[in-house]
Amino acid sequence: MQETVDTPQAAPAPAAEPNRRAGAAAFRPSLARRARRALAPLPWLAPALALIAFVVLWPVWEMFQTSRQHINSYGFNLGDYGWKNYSTLFADPNLGSVMVRTVLWVFAIVAITVLISLGLAQLLNRGFPGRKLVRWALIAPWAASVMMTAIVFRWMLDPNNGVVNVFLHQIGVVHDYNGSQASWLGDPTAALWWMIAVAVFVSVPFTTYALLAGLTSIPADVYEAARMDGAGKWRTYRAITFPLLRPALLVAVLINLMNVFNSFPIIWTMTGGGPDYQTSTSTVYMYALKQFNIGESGALSVVNFGVVILIVLVFLRANRSALKEG
Amino acid sequence: MKRRLAAAATLGLSAALALSACSSSSTSGSSSSGGGSVTLHFFGADYGTAGTSNTTQTYWQNIATAFHKQYPNITVDVQTIDWNDFPTKLHTLLQSKNYPDIIEGDAPQSYAQEGIAYKASDVLSESTLANLIPTFAKQGDYQGTEYGIPFTTSTRALYYNKKLFAQAGISAAPTTWAELQADAAKISKLGNSTIGYGMPLGTEEAQAESYMWMLGAGGGYVNGGGAYTINSAANVTAFNFMNTLVKAGDTEANPGTVNRATLWSDFAAGSVGMVGGSPAVVPIIQAAGKLTSSDWATAPFPGENGTVTNPLGVDDQIVALNVHNQQSAIQQFLNFAYQDTYQAQFDKEYDLLPATTSAATAEENDPIFGPFVKAIPTSSAYPTNANWSDVSTKIKQTIGAAVDGTAPATVLGQIQTFALSNQ
Repeated sequence: MQETVDTPQAAPAPAAEPNRRAGAAAFRPSLARRARRALAPLPWLAPALALIAFVVLWPVWEMFQTSRQHINSYGFNLGDYGWKNYSTLFADPNLGSVMVRTVLWVFAIVAITVLISLGLAQLLNRGFPGRKLVRWALIAPWAASVMMTAIVFRWMLDPNNGVVNVFLHQIGVVHDYNGSQASWLGDPTAALWWMIAVAVFVSVPFTTYALLAGLTSIPADVYEAARMDGAGKWRTYRAITFPLLRPALLVAVLINLMNVFNSFPIIWTMTGGGPDYQTSTSTVYMYALKQFNIGESGALSVVNFGVVILIVLVFLRANRSALKEG
Repeated sequence: MKRRLAAAATLGLSAALALSACSSSSTSGSSSSGGGSVTLHFFGADYGTAGTSNTTQTYWQNIATAFHKQYPNITVDVQTIDWNDFPTKLHTLLQSKNYPDIIEGDAPQSYAQEGIAYKASDVLSESTLANLIPTFAKQGDYQGTEYGIPFTTSTRALYYNKKLFAQAGISAAPTTWAELQADAAKISKLGNSTIGYGMPLGTEEAQAESYMWMLGAGGGYVNGGGAYTINSAANVTAFNFMNTLVKAGDTEANPGTVNRATLWSDFAAGSVGMVGGSPAVVPIIQAAGKLTSSDWATAPFPGENGTVTNPLGVDDQIVALNVHNQQSAIQQFLNFAYQDTYQAQFDKEYDLLPATTSAATAEENDPIFGPFVKAIPTSSAYPTNANWSDVSTKIKQTIGAAVDGTAPATVLGQIQTFALSNQ
């Protein structure tokens, strides 16, 4: 099983081999030569390194600098502020609930998305009439602008004449238009669930396609062997499909984690993070803070950045072995 | 592509300028002698709807075009944006150092504090300055000097739907909170998704709705000395009462998430019994075509013990920024834009009130606008504290929580803390 997966990757390896062998065959090289050799790849790497420095490291440094300045809502820098933005931020009574909500938001969306996508990918991997059409249709929520999708959902949930409420009224669930029951986006809990549903709706296509790609790369002979050994359907899925799907799954989950953590347009469009920040995640709250105090908003950016890095590190560490196998 | 187009346009424009400078130097004797062409950036609020015929973009564009004809070396680049997105967009422009030269729709104090605003007297002729309504002209003051120039004004009153009142068996507009509560309850019991009292505490203009209630309890945002009193006992009383309305179902659901624009159009559609509003509700009612002029009326806003005698008066100010040193061009444009014809045109288009005394006097006996105009001298305006703009944003974002389960004293206390700690 391991061999079958590894063979395609082993193929390009010989190209690198002669180099290594030549190095080993040479006599103990002098220090200067070793340094030169170590630096030799630099000209080839330089453009990539420069790009990383320019679009990743420099903005991070700027963000950190901003978080230590006193900048008002008009963009005027009133001078160095030390750590005051951070102390104000950590004393903020809203921060705790915003962070807890962010964790819930990320976890709920990624978990639901992955569950739905696992099923959908399995379905789309099967031959059935109209499969092509379904595959195409699945792209729609991905291709459409997230903001547009969010606006459409907001209209659908309008308490007075949204199509969702009209339908629920007709089947007798919602009794009064304009009532508190019909005001889905006005109630923080209901609003959050609706927004989670929208977020899942827009994340499912990518996740499904990533998993589908993983499924199609599983060779058919593995399944054949399993069938010969008399493995049942569930057993085959657990022992073959799922383990071989893991690399694709990990990539999909990781990308979703970061995307969902940073997701802004859905919440901003549907509730604006309100009422009273009660549907704000940390990204939305950062934006709300920016309207009075850019420095404090910058401090929250640094915190958010740290959280993302932390999530990625923990996730990679937990799945170290799986990623190596892949 | 765009840049090339812009370059071609600039070339064409400068050629045209050069030609007109040769042929008719006499048409605009007062234009600046520098000869170089100047572009002023105007950023304003949209009082209509973008993309439709009543957008304010058209209003300003017409002025800019007429102005450009008279002063060919000055081009005014106009940008307007709807009220809900106005603060965000404006702050984004400022934070990225894209300073407009003229801003319409924001309080001038913060700009004056930063030292980037022209004094009103620097950019407006004396006669125009003297014609501004004193109550509102004072609103543009920062440390005793006038920086902001009121452009359009409005006072607030209670709109009520006479048809719904009759159906619910109510004969007259409420004058006290208790009456308002009883009336709202009767109207919301009519069913058919009718809202008794519309209470817009969403982010669009929560500071106005809140202020109307605070005034009814004898409170307000600041005391006589200009110190913030946002969590005063009177204000808490007002919000406690608003809570009883919301809890009883006499208002729309979750007022903290509902914007003024929604409720005004719901009122125009005939499904709201009462709503606080400025004269700008009138065109919305007319456009909807659901209510005839005998189906609705306005009355003074009810207070705790009687009608409010010092109702909310709002003025939207123009402030000119000195960042690009265009004082003479700005002065020429503002004097041009403050002509009576344009003021009247704006009031007609949006049913708002003028900022000039002469125009206000002319409208005093108008059947619809008369009551609003007469309320101007005693009206209560927003604070003029330097950080009011930020405090107002904070109020818009958070005050809805006070009718949404959180104790009013807590919410108002947090806003008060914010107001004091971000001076």
